[in-house]
Amino acid sequence: MTTSFLPLLRRNIADSWRGALGWTAGVAGAILLYVPLYSSFSGDNAGFDDVIKSLSEGLASTLGFEDLTSGAGYVQATFLGLIGFVLFTIAATLWSSAAIAGDEESGSLELTLAHGVSRVQVMVERSLAVVLRLTWLGAVSALLILALNDSSGVGLEPLNVIGGCLALLGLGILAASFGLAVGAITGRRSFASAAAAGISLFGYILNSLGNQSADVEWLHNLSPYHWAFGNAPLRDGADWGSLALIYGIAAVVIVIGGIVFNRRDVSA
Amino acid sequence: MNYAIETRALTKRYGSLTALDGVDLAVETGSVFGMIGPNGAGKTTAMRLLLDIIRPTSGHATVLGRSPVDGGARLRTDIGYLPGELLLEGRVTGRSLLKHYAEISGHVPVGRIDELAERLGLDLSRHVRKLSKGNKQKLGLVQAFMHEPKLLVLDEPTSGLDPLMQQEFLSMVREAKEKGQTVFLSSHVLSEVQSAADQVAVLRNGKIVTIGDVASLRASAVRRVIIDFTDVSANHIRTTLEALPQLDDLTVVDGDIVHVAGTVEGHIDALVKAIAPFHVVDLRVEEQDLESSVINLYSSEARNDN
Repeated sequence: MTTSFLPLLRRNIADSWRGALGWTAGVAGAILLYVPLYSSFSGDNAGFDDVIKSLSEGLASTLGFEDLTSGAGYVQATFLGLIGFVLFTIAATLWSSAAIAGDEESGSLELTLAHGVSRVQVMVERSLAVVLRLTWLGAVSALLILALNDSSGVGLEPLNVIGGCLALLGLGILAASFGLAVGAITGRRSFASAAAAGISLFGYILNSLGNQSADVEWLHNLSPYHWAFGNAPLRDGADWGSLALIYGIAAVVIVIGGIVFNRRDVSA
Repeated sequence: MNYAIETRALTKRYGSLTALDGVDLAVETGSVFGMIGPNGAGKTTAMRLLLDIIRPTSGHATVLGRSPVDGGARLRTDIGYLPGELLLEGRVTGRSLLKHYAEISGHVPVGRIDELAERLGLDLSRHVRKLSKGNKQKLGLVQAFMHEPKLLVLDEPTSGLDPLMQQEFLSMVREAKEKGQTVFLSSHVLSEVQSAADQVAVLRNGKIVTIGDVASLRASAVRRVIIDFTDVSANHIRTTLEALPQLDDLTVVDGDIVHVAGTVEGHIDALVKAIAPFHVVDLRVEEQDLESSVINLYSSEARNDN
């Protein structure tokens, strides 16, 4: 048996830290670009509200721009709910589809599995590696927003920043869990990517549709995006129950993926 | 334990395609066993079943006394595996990659990796993705041999290696055997199996065509005979020799010297007795290598199928 501690996880991190560094720069860049801009928009003369009012109501609600004048609403609409969400979804899609399916398609997985590791161990360690990298992005996001909190004038509660970033991270991990599981079940990178990006898009679209009218508001109940952000975590604090649901579903999806992975043939 | 590998009616189907069809194998512990056959014969499928990378449709395999599924990770630390299509990627050096594989296999003695790399002339400081096919193959061999496993499963081990390295590989196989390790290797380059293997199985279309030691395969091999006669008519010779069932591909060229060529399967006794009454100027019997005789085996099987 293996004598060293989490060898596959360490290998994965060693192989991927350059890419993770790039993603860190991307996430940091988005925060450093958007958050300080708030001070120039806020205040009585900024006219930000007028800009929003000039948008059709449907578009504003689709983009989540109803409340751009408060600091919490601004950071939610620009970073957490939009750019950050897109970046986390893409990172989760790329990393999770590469973890098992990408490795299988390239032919490297066979040699790893021929060694003294079980399928379950491969699934657990590679999933952990993806979760760890996403968590790093989440931590960087929270720290940077907190660092800019005073100078930009967004004035957020520190605990709410952490809660909001945990919600963002939850959506990233949920997308990754679908990519990991579908990749482990099918061995196909394209299916894994579609699943990871698909679950994020699904949540986003249901949330936007639910915003349009009271008749379809029930769609919010099906949207992980709404579970994460529906209660405005930056303004009112995270909904810990919803977050537990998101993280719990992600864990169950990964376990299901691991069970099937353990039973199937791995292709060359 | 007598057998390092034992399979009974081992079968693997992919939909309607049967990759391996009821294969019975017994590989003695401490022996070198060669599996030869053309591409698509099922060699790789058989090996991947032994490593539990794929699962059998039916039948049973025992590796070092355990089924590959039940043996799991623990069993695989006692096996060194070289895949047929070795794809190594990544921005890591050969040394770093081998260190990783050492972490997930059996115990690797200190200095063993360098010793093997030096033997094969492999530079461990270079990045894996920049290595040539031959050098990647060497890296694959090092990771298979480095933890001195009880069983080596090597799929097309010499592919991409130059002749000098092929010789080095064969001496590594011999040394492994001397240490009591079992070696199970496949090839379509039959000459390498011929010199390394105690036993050879010939696989075709997922089935075992024949199993035997190299000597007995050779005994059943087809020999080419060339005979020159004088003082006899070509027709007379032709009639006499055509009566021999063992003789095939007969050609008779008339002239001052009647020149006869053909192939003989099995013992040559009947031919010698048949030509005894004539004046034989020259008789040559050329033993074909295992390669030609096995190719012959394939083609005669193919004829039977049609």
